[in-house]
Amino acid sequence: MPKLYKFLSVFRTGAVNAASGSAYAEFGNTKVIVSVFGPRESKKAMMYSDIGRLNCNVSFTTFATPIRGQGSDHKEYCAMLHKALEGAIILETFPKTTVDVFALVLESSGSNSISECVAGDLPVVISCASLALADAGIMMYDIVASVSVSCFNKNLVIDPILEEEIGQDGSLMITCMPSRYEITQLTVTGEWSTTKINEGMQLCLDACAKLAKIMRSCLKEVASDSQE
Amino acid sequence: MGLPNVSEDLSSEVEVDAFKRIFPLRYFERHLAESIRADGRPLGKARETSIFLGAVAFANGSALVKIGSTTMLTAIKMEIMTPSLESPDEGCLDWLLLVGPLMSIDFHMPPICSPIVRPGRPAEASPMVSKQLSNTISSSRMIDLKELSLVSGKAAWMAYLDIYCLDADGALFDAALLSAIAALSHLQIPSIAMNDDGKIVLVSDEDGQKRAQEPVNKEKRKLTLRSIPFSLTCILHKNYILADPTAEEESIMETHVTVVLDTSGQLISLYKPGGPVLAYTSAIQDCAALTRQRVKELNNFLDKANSAMEV
Repeated sequence: MPKLYKFLSVFRTGAVNAASGSAYAEFGNTKVIVSVFGPRESKKAMMYSDIGRLNCNVSFTTFATPIRGQGSDHKEYCAMLHKALEGAIILETFPKTTVDVFALVLESSGSNSISECVAGDLPVVISCASLALADAGIMMYDIVASVSVSCFNKNLVIDPILEEEIGQDGSLMITCMPSRYEITQLTVTGEWSTTKINEGMQLCLDACAKLAKIMRSCLKEVASDSQE
Repeated sequence: MGLPNVSEDLSSEVEVDAFKRIFPLRYFERHLAESIRADGRPLGKARETSIFLGAVAFANGSALVKIGSTTMLTAIKMEIMTPSLESPDEGCLDWLLLVGPLMSIDFHMPPICSPIVRPGRPAEASPMVSKQLSNTISSSRMIDLKELSLVSGKAAWMAYLDIYCLDADGALFDAALLSAIAALSHLQIPSIAMNDDGKIVLVSDEDGQKRAQEPVNKEKRKLTLRSIPFSLTCILHKNYILADPTAEEESIMETHVTVVLDTSGQLISLYKPGGPVLAYTSAIQDCAALTRQRVKELNNFLDKANSAMEV
């Protein structure tokens, strides 16, 4: 069975000096910058809260897709990113305050416009965001890694590119904390058989573990550099 | 006069970081008195600058520019404007074609770039920088817009310049202008052809061999850039002139002067948007002198980046 590992990834922390923490990720054709601000004062209108708040935003540049877009926010991604990270962050460590996670997709994995953007970018945004959170020193239970798999012609393809996603029968995205073996987000779309979905999930979890290893080594590198 | 004395007394006791937080202006003035900046630079020196061309895949021209931590990414996309066959002379498109080739310049400050920008609320500075950029680029006559024209009355190029601030650490206009002109110097105008219906279409690289279509301009080409504008922003504070300020310096000392000169040293524009310090002619002249040096430096950087692309 052909399994495509496209781990040609670049992870770098400290991309934006103005932020408390930040990360840049390049994965296939997707290029993302995530900045983390805070913990800082919540908006005035917010109710009192014992635990911290997480505020997420994902936007695209006008040149992220081959056809020039509007560079607008992506509401669905904002919500997905929030849900994917919420479970991993120890919100009790910053009561009454808000941590802002802002992502900018510099280049998308290549569909024609943002409205038809496929699952390709979201895993990169999520993984990059967790790295940025770690860089900002926000307490998390574990690093969050995210990977998607496409099923087409009875084959499973990890980290699908656009052409593969167009012809796919179904797609699966897992966001997990590999060292705890816990899943924070799981989305399944399209047509899957039970055996395939089991296989796909195992594939995703293995890939997440590998991805987390790369991310962790990136953080360690920075930490050892700063010690010297 | 209670406050300054307090700071004098405290300065020997408290740590540097605390002193900086409590008396930011004092902290900077103490450095200035020693003719040095808080980040170790001499007063008139700009930060380290780098230009990287061709950073964006889906663009006809692009550049990533860093001045210190301030980072700007510019991408230019070219689009062909043609009137629809049903209503060839209607609406704004017709107007576009009459005026000829156009350029739209947008400066974006996404929330990632600075803690003061929040999603949904555009940053105060961004429309101002946008306007300043369009004014500078159009009034410098750096581009002969005729070079962008296609078939008069039938089609014209529309150039979309999108400048994204990825990291905001002062001197935003300088970095934005540098990245815009760097992207323009990298811009390749795509080759186009007229098809059988008389419509203008892009020639993609793949079907370059089968030239059934009549080519309008055969090859990809670059723009000729005449007199490129470069800028330098300075802060005026008391008698001091600080070139290329960081965000921190900008927030504490509020009088800015931006001088834009072209490569031959001609003045293109001068901005002094208010501020508590009134500028004397001599101060403006000093700023212009600093800019003149900076223009040479930046022109060198741009040449180097362009020749690196050709190799």
